[in-house]
Amino acid sequence: MQVSKTWLQTFFNQSLDQIDIENILTMAGLEVDEVKSFDNLSDLVVVAEVVSVEKHPDADRLNVCQVNAGQSEHLQIVCGAPNVRAGLKVPCALVGAKLADFEIKKAKLRGVDSHGMLCSAKEIGLSQEADGLLELNQDTMVGTTIKQALSLDDTVYTLSLTPNRADCLSILGVAREVASLSKIPMKTQNPPAVTSKGKCEQKIEITDQASCPRYCGRQIRGVNNNQKLPDFIIQSLERSGIGLISPIVDITNYVLMELGQPLHAFDQHKLQGQIQVRRANKKEKITLLNEQEVELSDKDLVIADEKGPIALAGIMGGLDSAIDESTTDVFLESAFFNPEVIAGRARSFGLSTDSSHRFERGVDYANTAHALDRATELIIEYCGGVASELIDFQSDLPTRDTITLNASKVSKVLGLSLDEKIIENAIKSLQMTYKQTKPGMFEVTPPSYRFDLKIEADLIEEVIRLYGYDNIESILPEQKAEMLEVPDRQIDINETKNKMANLGYTEVVTYSFIDKDLEQQFHENKNLIELDNPIASQMNVMRSKLWASHLEVLNYNINRGQSQIRIFEIAPTYHKQNNTIFEQTMVSGLAYGSSMPEQWKSKNEKNNFFNIKGDIEIISSNLLAYEMPSKGVPGALHPGQTALITLNGEAVGWLGHLHPQWQQKYDLTEPTFIFEFRLDALQNRSLNDIELPSKLIPVRRDIAVIVDQGVPVQDMIRAVNGAKIGRLIEFVPFDVYQGQGIDKNKKSIAFLILMQDTYKTLEDSDVTKIVDQVLEILQSKFSATLR
Amino acid sequence: MDQLKDLADQAQKAFAKCQTVAELDHAKAQFIGKSGVITDAMKQLSQLPNNEKPKMGALINEIKQNIESLLNSRKDQINLEVMEEQLKSDKIDVTLPGLKQAQGSLHPISLTLNRIEKIFASVGFGVAQGPEIEDDYHNFTALNIPESHPARAMHDTFYIGELVLRTHTSPVQVRYMKEHQPPIKIISPGRVYRVDSDATHSPMFHQVEGLWVDDKVSFANLKGVVQNFLQRFFEDDALTIRFRPSFFPFTEPSAEIDMSWNGGWLEIGGCGMVHPEVLSQASIDPDKFQGFAFGLGVERLTMLKFGINDLRPFFMNDLRFLRQFAR
Repeated sequence: MQVSKTWLQTFFNQSLDQIDIENILTMAGLEVDEVKSFDNLSDLVVVAEVVSVEKHPDADRLNVCQVNAGQSEHLQIVCGAPNVRAGLKVPCALVGAKLADFEIKKAKLRGVDSHGMLCSAKEIGLSQEADGLLELNQDTMVGTTIKQALSLDDTVYTLSLTPNRADCLSILGVAREVASLSKIPMKTQNPPAVTSKGKCEQKIEITDQASCPRYCGRQIRGVNNNQKLPDFIIQSLERSGIGLISPIVDITNYVLMELGQPLHAFDQHKLQGQIQVRRANKKEKITLLNEQEVELSDKDLVIADEKGPIALAGIMGGLDSAIDESTTDVFLESAFFNPEVIAGRARSFGLSTDSSHRFERGVDYANTAHALDRATELIIEYCGGVASELIDFQSDLPTRDTITLNASKVSKVLGLSLDEKIIENAIKSLQMTYKQTKPGMFEVTPPSYRFDLKIEADLIEEVIRLYGYDNIESILPEQKAEMLEVPDRQIDINETKNKMANLGYTEVVTYSFIDKDLEQQFHENKNLIELDNPIASQMNVMRSKLWASHLEVLNYNINRGQSQIRIFEIAPTYHKQNNTIFEQTMVSGLAYGSSMPEQWKSKNEKNNFFNIKGDIEIISSNLLAYEMPSKGVPGALHPGQTALITLNGEAVGWLGHLHPQWQQKYDLTEPTFIFEFRLDALQNRSLNDIELPSKLIPVRRDIAVIVDQGVPVQDMIRAVNGAKIGRLIEFVPFDVYQGQGIDKNKKSIAFLILMQDTYKTLEDSDVTKIVDQVLEILQSKFSATLR
Repeated sequence: MDQLKDLADQAQKAFAKCQTVAELDHAKAQFIGKSGVITDAMKQLSQLPNNEKPKMGALINEIKQNIESLLNSRKDQINLEVMEEQLKSDKIDVTLPGLKQAQGSLHPISLTLNRIEKIFASVGFGVAQGPEIEDDYHNFTALNIPESHPARAMHDTFYIGELVLRTHTSPVQVRYMKEHQPPIKIISPGRVYRVDSDATHSPMFHQVEGLWVDDKVSFANLKGVVQNFLQRFFEDDALTIRFRPSFFPFTEPSAEIDMSWNGGWLEIGGCGMVHPEVLSQASIDPDKFQGFAFGLGVERLTMLKFGINDLRPFFMNDLRFLRQFAR
């Protein structure tokens, strides 16, 4: 919403220069986004008359003009604009004038002297676009500054209005707000002077009264839609950012901006019989003014004549009934449509019009006839014609219910003790009707143009808005000193993140949506969660894993010269099962390149599976187990170098080498390891019983056994630990060997066995017994032989 | 007798010639070794007349102790020299960097969220979470934004059939209030989504929602809490905020929060008193309870905190950018 200060001023007798409009509006919730002032245009840009035009001797497109700019002699100016002609009055930038990005100097154009420049609207900063010179009214005085001639001493405020303040979508509305806030009274508004003659012969039927509680119309016959409108209308529209169309449409737009009431003018001769305000029939079609053909449904409210829809109510008129330069008789409509009926309809056709914008937020239903009269007054004055009587259909108009406002509630909600007088002044200056029923209690009825005031809280906001949000103090609440729970079993997610960082992993944040093909191929997801309106085609589905996103990050960083890359992310993944969508937060990551950064004593070893597994073991506090997967290894992973991560036997994640196929596809020259596991698998750590250490020194024995290559060492450890051999405190592998001296299908594993008794030093015979027990288990369960 | 008296001098000279502990041990043998001069003298003691024995014995002992002391002091000296030699050769360039794993880092968004959580936890705010793929009811309707309400146009929403990607963290308010009665004091940080992408908008970004509902938590308290939070976050006790009237369907009164920054005001979030209708929807009696909600942009806070003027690096994941946040 653009508000011209000059226009706003017409609603007041006192000058608005005494107040800071920008600050007042912003601090009242009508945020001023931009303030644009035109009066920085140079005074050396003046009104000039083109006296004569001759072809340039050496350039087809240029003309040599003699120009009267109010100086003693005519100026010779070379001009390339197509519309230049003798007798025209145009802006002329004299030598020395500074325009937006250049200064006018004496120049020679193709050998001909030029002493200035004739200007378009764009060149003097009045519009974004222009084709040709700005043609000024013939009655403007030669030599006066353009600033003066076009009353450019104006300021335009662009307001960013919230949807609740539909009442401020007009100059009138903003003026009301300024008056309430500044205490500068508004001028009394004189009713439009309209002399009507004769009946309105257009028959009207309001079929859907609930959707259209008020409909006013009148005919105006004998208009001339080719008249030039006065500068104040044209400038007002320009400064409101509204383009010019034809005089009558421009006048309806002017009233729309002035009073906030959308109007529509039909060409009377293009209407067939009675018009109806009704719901559209299914599949009914209309071609709108913008030449867009839309197919309607019974959700749409239309104005229709006997042939069919002639306007999409509250949104846009139809092309077939539009007025044009040959129009002589118009039927002018001013209505109140129910906001709920209009809401969302324009958007459903990809439209947003000044009209729909207002109707879906709420238009003042008490102003319908007044606005129609105002437009009639202007049409008759500038386009001629005779107005018929105004017909006014009214049914169930919205009501403004009385709201009880309790001063003590105001104070309680705001945390601010407000005097009753302040409350009363606020509601009074907002033109609300009210009565005080008892001390501190007000019965308040909001005005018809306020659609946003329904409950006490709404009025409390109005009170503090008027009193000033700045008057709210910052007060810390008093509260019961109850402390937060700190569950010790729960691992703080930040603890996990910091551990990862200390292991060399950098946290990344990647988008939750990825490319559909990648999701299908890399994550092997068949139950896609697709976005209806993705922002880009490579971000069209919700991801079920973070891996593909992380490979992108990997590539991005390899391309920027990084060699050791370790990243992680803790984020939700999205899944669909049996048409139910659920989310699962995963800890996921990737390690690429060397196991340590390049440094002065580094051996530059590559990452291997066990480096990365070690990292995961550290962050997961040994709660998780790692199994040889029997099946179901993700296609993204190397089937022989992947562990299934489990928690209490339940699968919670994967850790593995990227499948060589994907290594190739992504051109990755170094081993890449990826992992993921459920965050909730970390969220409940085990709190072990703590034992005091024995005073005795443990005894260590090492054994080496040979088993089949396929025997998982973890099974051997579990079998030994599971046997609960007394005084055995640790059983740990410290070497695995395959190669010379060992059969091809076998491997040798060296274990250390740590033993201890709480009270006595172990004898040799005790030690042998324990080692034998261990060997017995390994032999019987895994056919192990002592090496 | 005189011969014996010279012994100490002889020993001293012999020891002084020794350069290593081994040489010293060798030299020592001459004097107090098994067949050394002193040992011999002791052996000969028995042949002396009884009245001379004590005197002579004492003399030999004295000389022996003397020699031992000379020996030990020379030994200490040699050890000291050896140690000094070793220390010299052990010398390293301690200015070379330590050997280590690369230091990873937390994402700046995480750093900000940690900080926010910590500050709010200090006055007892817990953390609540909710789904990102939301239903229309929790994202809009329960927050007083019915279908076709123009306020929906303020949210450029991603749709997944009947569902949406949450456009704000406010649905967590609703979910939490449905399951808890006041006093309620939570923050809810997380990812949110809008169909918008340019230098200042990302289709995915982070918000933190705050909610405090009790019997008399007021608008002034809201201002106090938000201001105090920002003071702590930016470690600037002089920081002030101002409220500007605004509109959110789920709060009334509503305000934009502007923060004093570099001599001007900077919009930092939105807030307001929880709308009575939203309380009712969550089965909390609006006549008994009142409270406030606020929403802050996490990226915005992060950019200000670290002096970054572009949103895009947060999602590009360039390690050269991210590693600077290691701490």
